[in-house]
Amino acid sequence: MNTTPFSRREFLKTGSNGFGYLAFAALAQQQALSANPQTATGPLAPKAAHFAPRAKHVIFLCMQGAPSHVDTFDYKPKLIADNGKGAPSAAGRYGTAKLMASPWKFNRQGKSGLYISELFPNLGKHADEMCILNSMSTDLPAHPQAFSQLHTGTTQFVRPSLGSWALYGLGTMNENLPGFITINPPGNATRTYGSAFLPAIYQGTKIGGNGLPGGGVGRRGGGMDQQATVANIKNSRYTTEAQRTQLDLVQALNKSRMQQDGGVSAEVEGVIESYELAFRMQAEVPKVMDLSKETAATKALYGIDEQETDAFGRQCLMARKFVEAGVRFIELTNGNWDQHFNLKASLERNTGAIDKPIAGLLTDLKQRGLLKDTLIIWGGEFGRTPHSQGEDGRDHNNKGFSMWMAGGGVKGGMNYGMTDDYGYEAVQNKMHIHDWHATVLALMGLDHERLTFRYAGRDFRLTDVYGTVAKEIMA
Amino acid sequence: MKTLTLSLILLAPVALRAAEAAEAEHAGMTPDQLQFFEKNIRPVLVESCYKCHSAESSKVKGGLTLDTKQATLLGGESGHPGVTPGNIAQSSVYEAMTWKNEDMQMPPKQKLPDDVIANFKKWIEMGAPDPRENQVVNASGGKRVIDMEAGRKHWAFQKPVKQEPPAVKTAGWAKTEIDQFVLAGIEANGLRPVRDADRPTLIRRIAFDLTGLPPTPDEVKAFVADQSPEAVKRVIDMYLDSERYGEHWARHWLDVARYAESSGKEVNVLYPHAWRYRDYVIESFKKDKPYDQFLKEQIAGDLLKFDGKRDQANKIVATGFLAIGSKGHNNRDRRQFSMDVVDEQIDAVSQSMLGLTLACARCHDHKFDPVTQRDYYALAGIFLSSETLFGTYEQLQNNNPAGLIELDREAGQTAALAKISPSEVAELKGNYERAKTAAAEAQKEVFAMRQQDREKAGAASFLRIRGARDRAEEVKSDVDLFYEDGTPRTLAMGVLDRTSPSNSPILIRGDIKQPGDVVPRGLVEVLCAKGEPLNISPQSGSGRLDLAYWIASKDNPLTARVMANRVWLKLMGSGIVPTPDNFGAIGQKPSHPELLDYLAVTFMENGWSVKKLIREIMMSRAYQMGSGYDAANYAVDPDNKYHWRMNQRRLEAEAIRDAMLAVGGSLNFYPVDGSPVARAGEGRQGLISIFRGELSGKAYTYRSIYIPIIRDQIPEMLSVFDYPDASLVIGDRDTTNVPSQSLYLMNNPQAQSAADAFAVRIAKHPGNSAERLSYAYELAFGREPTTQEKAAISNFWMRFPQQIAKDRGTSKEAKAQAEFAALSAFCQSLIASAEFRYLN
Repeated sequence: MNTTPFSRREFLKTGSNGFGYLAFAALAQQQALSANPQTATGPLAPKAAHFAPRAKHVIFLCMQGAPSHVDTFDYKPKLIADNGKGAPSAAGRYGTAKLMASPWKFNRQGKSGLYISELFPNLGKHADEMCILNSMSTDLPAHPQAFSQLHTGTTQFVRPSLGSWALYGLGTMNENLPGFITINPPGNATRTYGSAFLPAIYQGTKIGGNGLPGGGVGRRGGGMDQQATVANIKNSRYTTEAQRTQLDLVQALNKSRMQQDGGVSAEVEGVIESYELAFRMQAEVPKVMDLSKETAATKALYGIDEQETDAFGRQCLMARKFVEAGVRFIELTNGNWDQHFNLKASLERNTGAIDKPIAGLLTDLKQRGLLKDTLIIWGGEFGRTPHSQGEDGRDHNNKGFSMWMAGGGVKGGMNYGMTDDYGYEAVQNKMHIHDWHATVLALMGLDHERLTFRYAGRDFRLTDVYGTVAKEIMA
Repeated sequence: MKTLTLSLILLAPVALRAAEAAEAEHAGMTPDQLQFFEKNIRPVLVESCYKCHSAESSKVKGGLTLDTKQATLLGGESGHPGVTPGNIAQSSVYEAMTWKNEDMQMPPKQKLPDDVIANFKKWIEMGAPDPRENQVVNASGGKRVIDMEAGRKHWAFQKPVKQEPPAVKTAGWAKTEIDQFVLAGIEANGLRPVRDADRPTLIRRIAFDLTGLPPTPDEVKAFVADQSPEAVKRVIDMYLDSERYGEHWARHWLDVARYAESSGKEVNVLYPHAWRYRDYVIESFKKDKPYDQFLKEQIAGDLLKFDGKRDQANKIVATGFLAIGSKGHNNRDRRQFSMDVVDEQIDAVSQSMLGLTLACARCHDHKFDPVTQRDYYALAGIFLSSETLFGTYEQLQNNNPAGLIELDREAGQTAALAKISPSEVAELKGNYERAKTAAAEAQKEVFAMRQQDREKAGAASFLRIRGARDRAEEVKSDVDLFYEDGTPRTLAMGVLDRTSPSNSPILIRGDIKQPGDVVPRGLVEVLCAKGEPLNISPQSGSGRLDLAYWIASKDNPLTARVMANRVWLKLMGSGIVPTPDNFGAIGQKPSHPELLDYLAVTFMENGWSVKKLIREIMMSRAYQMGSGYDAANYAVDPDNKYHWRMNQRRLEAEAIRDAMLAVGGSLNFYPVDGSPVARAGEGRQGLISIFRGELSGKAYTYRSIYIPIIRDQIPEMLSVFDYPDASLVIGDRDTTNVPSQSLYLMNNPQAQSAADAFAVRIAKHPGNSAERLSYAYELAFGREPTTQEKAAISNFWMRFPQQIAKDRGTSKEAKAQAEFAALSAFCQSLIASAEFRYLN
């Protein structure tokens, strides 16, 4: 799948008038002779899963700020019936609060008849692809901590993120691109794509995203900087041809260094490889990120060029292109779901911005035959209270909320687990974030108990000592 | 021992008096007191409070439980003690009962009868006698009992013993005792040492290892020409004595001291005074302060004897080690926050100085090492009895500010700020008064609103008050920086003893809502000989001084070994113990245990001199070997565990950056006093500068150690080359080889401008092009180009200028520009090449 103007193969040829060819011919020979298998494979090379994977790629649509489950994917008839009544004791310190029915109607969707809020007219049409997880829970009702747990399993420590674990476990499939890409992550949330103690090569490559302090309170979210791209991807000084000449010199010097070192040096070899990948990325990354070649119909599908949906539509389309290009894990962040007040207008604005793009993404992946290999996940760090806060808002609720998955080997048209009559707490098939992590990894063919990394003398895992795989949702 | 009198603590810190109180009442009760409690207090608690405030309630409110003595004393999330024996004013349970505080009226629906409230008053005044002791029989839950005698047998818990170097077969190779240890390992594994490094390679290695900078061309020439047997020692001493040595080796310590200038975590508040600790570390290494003294000062510098005000101030600054850790300032539960700070301190002290993960025993006995939860809370008591002063101001997302330590005006300390005029001081104060008034008015207006209106306005009213208060606090943060006459105050982060020390209860499962037995302050049992007293004497204050002397002691089996291993790791590329921060049961075992002991004991014998330790390692033949590949050796020992060659090592991010600036002659050795963070402003302003990247995005030209280090906002150049996470103790950095590094060196404007500066320097160098090429090579690599390299370079020169000249026209000026562009691209190639960032 090498379509870049200067692929490694071509470089070997074009380099033949200088040092490149000899250098690489010798290098290839040494690689073959090298006793160390590390040099032959490299940390990003595809690795065998623990068992047959259902999904090869993940697109995590991360809704930062905690979307209200009772207004979106958790239909609560009793909440409607008891609208305005005092909240039950489960409401805890909000004992005097009043239950608030969702201002939006829920409709049965698809053959499966899943209840989905009218806030998602387009996504609702995909109900038969969706597995709605209604019994999510997380440890703390505080944004930064819960956002951290959502990504790393812990509210407190610096630990590798879900995407890093996936990449560490499986490697990647396109040598021209990073294996874990995160688009528009919030500011000050490097932990959400960091590799922590895993080797740095497993960390997410950030595209765009310069949020405001506080993780959960960023007021920007949603849109993506038009300029945003992989850092330093473009050379402002030289043509590709001239840069290749410069790089030939760099590589000749590297090769010379290696000869002086006795002909074998994993370190110098690593430098040589990383220059070639970087050089290929310069061509590949902008190409994947260039949406101009997409047809008008495709763009329309994602709501691109419509004011409301343009920003997230572009990100979703880009996610599809990254999947097509072989990227293992892609995360998109959409912010401002923290509706303490102004719920009606604000939540409608949020869902309006993502409904069509996500529906478009599902349609597009399906028609290209990619949905079966791609796990789509939607959700935020927790949910919101069934009672009102002020007259038009909802507070944080961590003991029960909803997420959904589609594609990549999950059963469609299904609700998994449930909350109590109002939506305060998960009461059936409870799925804590640890269970969710275990399940996501399992869908990718990884056993969360075997996916470990030894650090500071102990074997760490994403799920710490927890995690139960929800086998019922697997197709 | 003299006690310090430090006049000024800027802000009243959140005291953790609950634990003190918990300790105060261990004495038995009289039957009368017991009767009073059973008759008048317990029934009320059960009837009116337990519904929401007992471990059995379905929902514990406010984090407060009242069903055990310990929990009642401790209080809830507010951080205020629930009950302080003998002190009504410090008993929030009582205050709530009186309904005097509008925000806290308990029980919420019906105020208790006056006579009941009076009984509680009486009870507290008589010392709150309470039989409801929460007994923790076995903190490990009874599953595992740690056998201390067996635990002491772990290799690292036994004192190092200096052993005679082993006999070796190969005659003449070993130059020093270290070499005998190394060679014995080499021979035993059927390996052969490779040949020595050549002179240019060796001086480059020594220069980078000691100063973090490349040797100058003159230094290389002099060394290559110096044929005396003393040449190597001379060059080592020259670099050890240089100013740059302190800066470079301080940075190694800052990695394990998790140094940074902001809080990290959720809110990332700036710490504008953290740089004092950084400068203290630089100075300490420069002066070769004995390592035991260095450790003592960092744990208890405020309690040590001192010689004059300057010395006293320096020692206080040293305790910044305990204050600079990462913190979650937005935590609403102040007690939880305090325990998290203590946990962070235990973690940092134990990993950096002892190579142990004692913080693992916070919630349960250590899973692997013979360390009990009791040990943990014995240490916790020491830190809880000290006040951690890290500064910052109360803001919307900072619920946990603290004071700072004001250093004596006469102590001759550097100030980061310029003096301002007295009238400017007056103006600041005026601003503060006005801001305070505005905040008070905002609050008054909101409180005057009818309840309905207030609810309608919702968060807006809250934010209005909060915003006004934040503005006032922000101005205050400026006011506090100056004396009346406009001279800047010299403020430091650090630690001081509290007036009355206290012991900590064991927290069951680490949960502050489940306090158990109170543990006397003390040391880690397994590291003390059997029968040796563990506990801190009541006369010792917090016990930090005892802790400091205990760690920095020749009798401590870990301290010298851990440091000797750290120094070995930095010089040799891998540790004798490959897990430098974990010498416990599941850390890795030493590859050369006798050598490690030899180094540790020699280190102590030499007065804990780090410079002597470094010199001894560098003088060994093992250090001076080449790094070349050898197939036969490689087949047996690919990881070079037995040091049959020198490891090829990637330079650290700082050294790469400093070298990039140095080769262009643009490295500035005179940084501004203090740190840009000190001038960024506290409160909201400081936060904004963090998130606009104003502090981390600038193209500073001074040495990397002086660049602002904001947690989670590490400057790109440093983070791309594996700068460590500034919140963790990191004794061994990652070294990755990733495309983002290549992209940075090829395309980043800072990399390009470093190449331009290098090119300007080369262009100015007298001589013909061959001489200039040599000069460029000497600057970048400390050697001459090989024939093969010259051929590659001429090949580049044949192609590159034409390729870039195409669209530039043929004018003389355009040609000159193209020529310079090619020279810059060539210089950039040298910087970008592997050799620039690797040590051979």
